[in-house]
Amino acid sequence: MKNVHVNMPKSLKKERGTSMMKMKLALISAVISVGILTACSDRTETQVKEESTAASSTTASESVTQKDTLLAKEENEPAADTITIMVPPITSNYVELLDGWIEDYKKDHPNIEIEVTATTWAENTSKLTTMALAGEAPDIAEVDMNMIGPLAEMGVAVDLEQYLDAETLADYDRNSLDYLRQNDILYGLPLYLTIQALGGNRAMLEEAGADIEKIQTSGWTYDEFLKIVAAGTKEGTWGFIFANQGVAAADVVNIFGVSAGITNAFTSDFKYAFTSENMLQLLTAIEDLVKSGYMPNYGIETGQRWAMLETGETMIAGKAMPLTESTIRKNNAGIADGTATEGSIEVEYVFLPTPAMEGVDESCYGIVDGMVPLRNNGTTDQHMKNVCEFLNYICSGERIAAVDDEVMLPSVCESGRQAQANRELEQYENNAAAAARCISLVKVPPVGISSEQTSKASTLMNEVIVPKFQALLAGEVTAQNMYEEICQAAIAEFGESSCEMGRIP
Amino acid sequence: MKKHFHVKRETVDGYLFILAAMVIFLVFTIYPMVSAVTTSLKDYRPFGSEWVGAANYKAAVGNALFLKSVKNTLVYTVATVPVSLAISFIVALLIMPFKRKTQSLFKALYYMPAVASGVATSVVWLWIYNSAPSGLFNQIMSILHLPAQNWLSSSRTAMLSLIIMSLLGGHGTHIITYIAALMGIDSSYFEAADIDGASFFQKVWYVVLPLCKPTTLFLLVTGFINSFQVFMNAYMMTGGGPDNNTTMIGLLIFNNAFVYGKYGLACAEAIILACLIACMTAVQFRVMGDNVEY
Repeated sequence: MKNVHVNMPKSLKKERGTSMMKMKLALISAVISVGILTACSDRTETQVKEESTAASSTTASESVTQKDTLLAKEENEPAADTITIMVPPITSNYVELLDGWIEDYKKDHPNIEIEVTATTWAENTSKLTTMALAGEAPDIAEVDMNMIGPLAEMGVAVDLEQYLDAETLADYDRNSLDYLRQNDILYGLPLYLTIQALGGNRAMLEEAGADIEKIQTSGWTYDEFLKIVAAGTKEGTWGFIFANQGVAAADVVNIFGVSAGITNAFTSDFKYAFTSENMLQLLTAIEDLVKSGYMPNYGIETGQRWAMLETGETMIAGKAMPLTESTIRKNNAGIADGTATEGSIEVEYVFLPTPAMEGVDESCYGIVDGMVPLRNNGTTDQHMKNVCEFLNYICSGERIAAVDDEVMLPSVCESGRQAQANRELEQYENNAAAAARCISLVKVPPVGISSEQTSKASTLMNEVIVPKFQALLAGEVTAQNMYEEICQAAIAEFGESSCEMGRIP
Repeated sequence: MKKHFHVKRETVDGYLFILAAMVIFLVFTIYPMVSAVTTSLKDYRPFGSEWVGAANYKAAVGNALFLKSVKNTLVYTVATVPVSLAISFIVALLIMPFKRKTQSLFKALYYMPAVASGVATSVVWLWIYNSAPSGLFNQIMSILHLPAQNWLSSSRTAMLSLIIMSLLGGHGTHIITYIAALMGIDSSYFEAADIDGASFFQKVWYVVLPLCKPTTLFLLVTGFINSFQVFMNAYMMTGGGPDNNTTMIGLLIFNNAFVYGKYGLACAEAIILACLIACMTAVQFRVMGDNVEY
């Protein structure tokens, strides 16, 4: 048979080619559109899987026997559940530790899947806020106590006492639990109670005439502190520095605030404390330290303070924690192999309590970091029970002891302390004893402060106190002016009757 | 006679072609805008927001910090955008006489900061502005026998520091755009100017500047819009301090939304910012838009 080959005209070929190309491009465009719409859908992969499982089980249910078997299985086996947890590097190896604990937990709870999201300290709060506001918060998140108020205000925090019985909660120290309460509702479990005070260079302090043993065992007055700082200030060495650049200024106000008797943003009768006469006393002391040349008149970055302590550019640095000893030890070890901060000298770190100003009982600033359960769109009661059970697991026993050992702090729950009992830490005895003494001096915040009050106090700190503090350091406002502006803003926010205008008793 | 509705094949093709772009525009631009407007009228909570009408707008306008942030943003914009355009224009003029390869080298060099991450650049600038005597700028001050400055912590120098930071980097895009505009000017204009005996500056003033006017207007408008939305510099360098003297609107919106969780207030401030930008753009078109055609 003869093949008939018809030659298509060139123009027609070209037209058909163009048309095909158009069709392909239009198809790609349509696929992209569908892709975008699908990606924006709220349905997650898990939901799709669940629906697909449901569909197949409907087919299976046609057989009565199979249906009975399934029902019997459901009664005996707890339903599968997935818990999500978001954590910053609480310790350098926290995520690895968590993975190990999850493996152990799953042996007893094979129906539970746990998904871990690791964040950084820098993004933890903003990421959590964004997720919570979108109704997509993780089931468990790490927060410091100041975050409890905003989370409760958003309505995503969960009353833990509804899901954990009194016996379980009795393992935790009542004081540390109180840090995580708002309006008398418990919203989280503590990881540790960390104390924040001062740290110094033993050799320099002794040269300046400090009786370190006495300071660590029985505290010091502000006048004694000032005398030593004055003696320790030399050419190229500050007597005292504090990390206070940007938001870190809040640390100075909080940590050094206890020197002036301000142990919390609210007094025991729920009045705003930063309007008290104690605040003026604190601001005046800082103004004098800068004017006298004992403390820099510019902001110090948080990391910079350790570099200054390691290189002998300062005698005392704040904020400091017991854990700082580990940082300084590592740097000392690095002097020989060249990994230490440039210009480092051998430093024996001493943990120092905050000095007490005239008329003030000695105290120490402490904060509790903890884990909170959070609810989301469609969170069920059973899911929340699973979440709280896992939360208790990672906040107690061997798990919490491992974390607290890393941060050189005693556990705040009995099971954690028992696990810590037989371990030895690489820590100077005098520093360990000073830390224990400071922990005993921490004053727990008054129970019953509302989340609205906390939220307002946080705004005042970030929008008034912190920005003014930089100006105070630079000598652009006086302590008196700054105090008056804080009072004005606080009265506008809380009302005069809710602000402590006199001396904190 | 009854007319039958007939959709041409070409019309269908056309709609399919723009479908992806339209979906992207609707999902990622229009929907967030509408959502921001509705959120600005609510006391936003993840589970059950309350309708509060214009309360968030009243709170924003009545807040002294918001007004201060508007003033700061205006100062920053007015100080940086025109000067930045002038620098870019001059640099583009200086690069033009070189051969193509040398031009490309300069363009690449000036564009390099745009490729670097804003965070990384800010860290370098933090070192430059370190208030300790070891800070780079303070070392230069010391060489000049001038006192060390508290660059980022003093109200007198904090805003200036952010302005200097903006002016000393990030001209790459402007320079490349200006060079493209300069290359588009027909050489016959310069030949005519030469015949008339025009000097270099006369050629720039009477030939180059008028012919680059559409480019200048474009860069000015986009520059103002970008500058009004500035966030990274203040966030990384000063956190808005000292005494809120470098708090820009963008930073305030970020804080309200992601630090305090006040989405409603943040959205209201964002809508006010959008209106401000629209007004500024309208003014710029009104003042400079004559004889400009795209």
